[in-house]
Amino acid sequence: MRKIFQSVALLALVCVSAPAFADSQTYARQIDRIVSKELKRLDQEPREEIDDYAFCRRVYLDAIGRIPTLGELDRFIADDQPNKRARLIEELLHSKGYNSHWYNYWADLLRVKQVGDKLHHPGNFSEWIKESVRSNKPYDEMAYELINSSGKLYEPGNGATGFYAREPMALDHLSNSVKTFLGMSIECAQCHDDPYADWTQQDFYALAAFSSKTYLRVDPLPEEEKATYAENRAMLKQKDFDEWIVYRESVRVKHAAIHGNGTGYMRLPHDYQYDDGEPFDVVPAYTLFGDMPELDYTVTKEELEKAKHQNFGPGINSRQSLAEWMTSPDSPLFTKATVNRLWHQVMGTELVGPLGGLSEEEMGEHPELTEKLVEILKESDYDTKRFLSALFNSRIYQSKALALGVEPPTYVLDGPVVRRLPAEVIVDSFLSLKTDTPDKYVATEFKWDAFTHFYDKSQSMGVEDFVDYSIKGPGRKAFHVREEIEANTRNGDLGPKDLWRVSSYRHHDGNHEIAVLMGQSNRDLIDSANREPDIPQILYMMNGDLEDEIIDESTALIHRNLEGVKNRSKRMAIIWKSILGRTPKASEKKLFAHAEGDIIWALLNSNEFKFSK
Amino acid sequence: MIDRREFIYRVGLTGMSLPFLNAAAIPAPTAKAKSVIYIFLAGGLSQYDSFNVEVDQDVLGKSTILNSNVDGVRVSNYFPTLANHMDKLLVLNAMKTNQGAHPAGIYKMLTGYNPRSSITHPELGSWINKTLTSEQDSLPNFVSIGNGRAGTAGFFPGQWAALPVQDPEMGIDFAERNQAVEEKQFDKRIDILDSLNSDFEHLYGTKDTRSYVDTYASSLKFMSSKDIDAFDLKREDERVVNMYGRDEFSRSCLLAGRLVERGVRFVKVNLTGWDYHNDLYNKFPANANKLDKGLSSLLTHLTQKGLLDETLVVVSTEFGRKPGVNPNRGRDHHPDGFTCLMAGAGVKAGQIYGATSKDGQEAAEDALDVTDFNATIAWRLGIDPNFEESAPSGRPFKIANRGEAREELFG
Repeated sequence: MRKIFQSVALLALVCVSAPAFADSQTYARQIDRIVSKELKRLDQEPREEIDDYAFCRRVYLDAIGRIPTLGELDRFIADDQPNKRARLIEELLHSKGYNSHWYNYWADLLRVKQVGDKLHHPGNFSEWIKESVRSNKPYDEMAYELINSSGKLYEPGNGATGFYAREPMALDHLSNSVKTFLGMSIECAQCHDDPYADWTQQDFYALAAFSSKTYLRVDPLPEEEKATYAENRAMLKQKDFDEWIVYRESVRVKHAAIHGNGTGYMRLPHDYQYDDGEPFDVVPAYTLFGDMPELDYTVTKEELEKAKHQNFGPGINSRQSLAEWMTSPDSPLFTKATVNRLWHQVMGTELVGPLGGLSEEEMGEHPELTEKLVEILKESDYDTKRFLSALFNSRIYQSKALALGVEPPTYVLDGPVVRRLPAEVIVDSFLSLKTDTPDKYVATEFKWDAFTHFYDKSQSMGVEDFVDYSIKGPGRKAFHVREEIEANTRNGDLGPKDLWRVSSYRHHDGNHEIAVLMGQSNRDLIDSANREPDIPQILYMMNGDLEDEIIDESTALIHRNLEGVKNRSKRMAIIWKSILGRTPKASEKKLFAHAEGDIIWALLNSNEFKFSK
Repeated sequence: MIDRREFIYRVGLTGMSLPFLNAAAIPAPTAKAKSVIYIFLAGGLSQYDSFNVEVDQDVLGKSTILNSNVDGVRVSNYFPTLANHMDKLLVLNAMKTNQGAHPAGIYKMLTGYNPRSSITHPELGSWINKTLTSEQDSLPNFVSIGNGRAGTAGFFPGQWAALPVQDPEMGIDFAERNQAVEEKQFDKRIDILDSLNSDFEHLYGTKDTRSYVDTYASSLKFMSSKDIDAFDLKREDERVVNMYGRDEFSRSCLLAGRLVERGVRFVKVNLTGWDYHNDLYNKFPANANKLDKGLSSLLTHLTQKGLLDETLVVVSTEFGRKPGVNPNRGRDHHPDGFTCLMAGAGVKAGQIYGATSKDGQEAAEDALDVTDFNATIAWRLGIDPNFEESAPSGRPFKIANRGEAREELFG
């Protein structure tokens, strides 16, 4: 049966051509030419090319975030048709595994997290990112939607609003947006002129003016509150605290929203200390660099100066201009910062500079290469799959990884560097040893949670229904739980949790403890994932669940693959290929005499397993 | 036949880091403190609702003043228990930092450096771990208890990062060999691992791969430590347990006390949540109560055990709060003139050092920069604050940046 399945898969592969990605090869050759020219100039030897085993493991890790299963590896090695590397790249970029892996990446960057500040659940935000990855939404559109999002927080499809809801402080949100999308640090200027960059505090406030008065409000707007909800709210508060809370919370789920679209004006802080302005002075919107978009002001700066300090003027949709400015292909930073990020994710080095510390002019160690990659991303219309395909198809990607030591070679952009795998990738790789379908339970459609589900229900609920729900309802403790249960029923079977990839753990499922142990980002700060060892992590690797789940579990894929294989060397080859993605070296044959469980344990604990090379 | 555990351990030692016995860093004989318990109040403790009440009445907001067991030292009404322990504490009322946002402020306080996107600096605890660890120590010398930033090793190898204990009740997971694996078998596994890693190191060794080898070595040592039961609070004397009570922060302090008793050099205890921008007087009391009870129990415990003479207990926070209460009935960030505490190891207890202006706006007298604060801690442990370590890039760094020890804080 297995054999038939494999040949069908092989046939399918042979038939796959990649017209949409024809330009990947062209781009890849362009990248290679630029790099090889530089190597010649520096008189530096090109790196060795990697073999099919190393390529297969590497591209699985980078494209879909886990090691290949034995079947996947063997199938690729056995493929004797032309362009098999290019075909594997395309297959992986269009697989469910890709959706899982790159969701983790964007969710970290956008810091999807439950923050306790106000009623705010990030489930819808998380779903929005998943849908964006599934539909391969161009990255500039994704960024634009995040910056310009408004409306109901829990309306399915409107989850981009979670990006604003994430940050209770508007100015922090702006600093983080600039760092996320432009790769630039301006947070110093939030409180004082930045001595290390050109930005002044006034510049910061001028930029903040675009999105001024954008805010999360969880309760209905005052007019609606007064007209619709206030009377019963007062009644319930008198009657029963618990019912009053359910009323409040359930009304919030329907009405929580991002309001305001920018007034184009800010006011200087009350402790403003510089000569170029007084506290509370009105500052009109102004971009940090590049073109200044035209805004449809309805009041002048002078008129507003006469108004009260808390008056920022009427909304004029200036936030949209900010989104356009920030994501413009003409921006000296947007595309460059994105390329810098994606390069770093794939190669492990800084193409232009630190992920959050770029400047307008900076082009990195090798400006020509940066320019080319910027051009590729623009020509690809910010289609990240097309961009990744160009990188993966390049000869430099397919060369030996460099171990960065004390004295690195002059030029290090000629391929990837040795580095530890991201936390989620390590954990998801365990899955490739347990099951031959590790991506089976990656969702292919929107999944409901308590908040989106209740929001959906609430669309047909009038005030009387809310009162009814609160009085006869589940009580405040059970409110979310009950909706969560209904949402889960609606979602249907999500599969057994122990076979989920890390990306399938949602906020109500709790953190993935093992991924946290491996250094998963806590999503407080941008780029705060950690790839360092610590004692608890090592104790888990040595003494934890792997024993029961893989090493000593006869139904785990690795053991099923060993079933019926008599020859010792063949058994060892299966073990090595399953865990390290390669056959054993001659020097490793001396280890064959050990018990298989002990060998599996040691391979799982080895640096080679945890590092990409 | 050499002992295999020792072998991988030696791989660690002969790797890049060569961690021990760094001549320049051997503690001076003047060391008066053996250990530090570092209570960190992330979020920014309001000095005017806690330990700096020597300011104008309107600065105190709704807080009122309590006398303590020392003449001339007064605290706010939220610290009635600590009021009876002020004879053990030195109050530092003129702390200064240059950071006004949380992540940067926390980073500055704990590392002594401003955050940069180009490098991560080691935390104070990591410096102390790296500098004072000797081959005999079987417990890690940097343990961080509670939620919050555990304690990064920065540009040092990862083995010098804090051992995190998220929950004092849980101890350390998986510190024992899996039941299914016999000791001999475990040794064989380490054998195979050794062989695989040596080979990989040869071909692909980096700072990060060596850090893993080193951390495996530390973990093996930890597993076989005779002191590992220090993490088990169930082993503590019932009277001591009762004194601390059930609160999680209190229990964390108890664990910290047990660890310094076994010689751990630096224990950080996190108590977060102090960022009260609004509704301060409804939210602050519960957290203050935790600190009040936990720290009081810890001081009593250490005194009873005779450990306070050689243990420096510090309470710090990234910055203070503004003297004015804002319209949301909270207080905003204020880096100029906030409050930290010290106890033990010969500190001039029962005193107040430094003062803010009466209007609470600034540190006016004997200001103490956070870098000087860190340098003082290092100095008291016998570490020269001018001792330099190089980052992999070759740039030199010091334990407390340019901070200088304020020796006059000790008698």
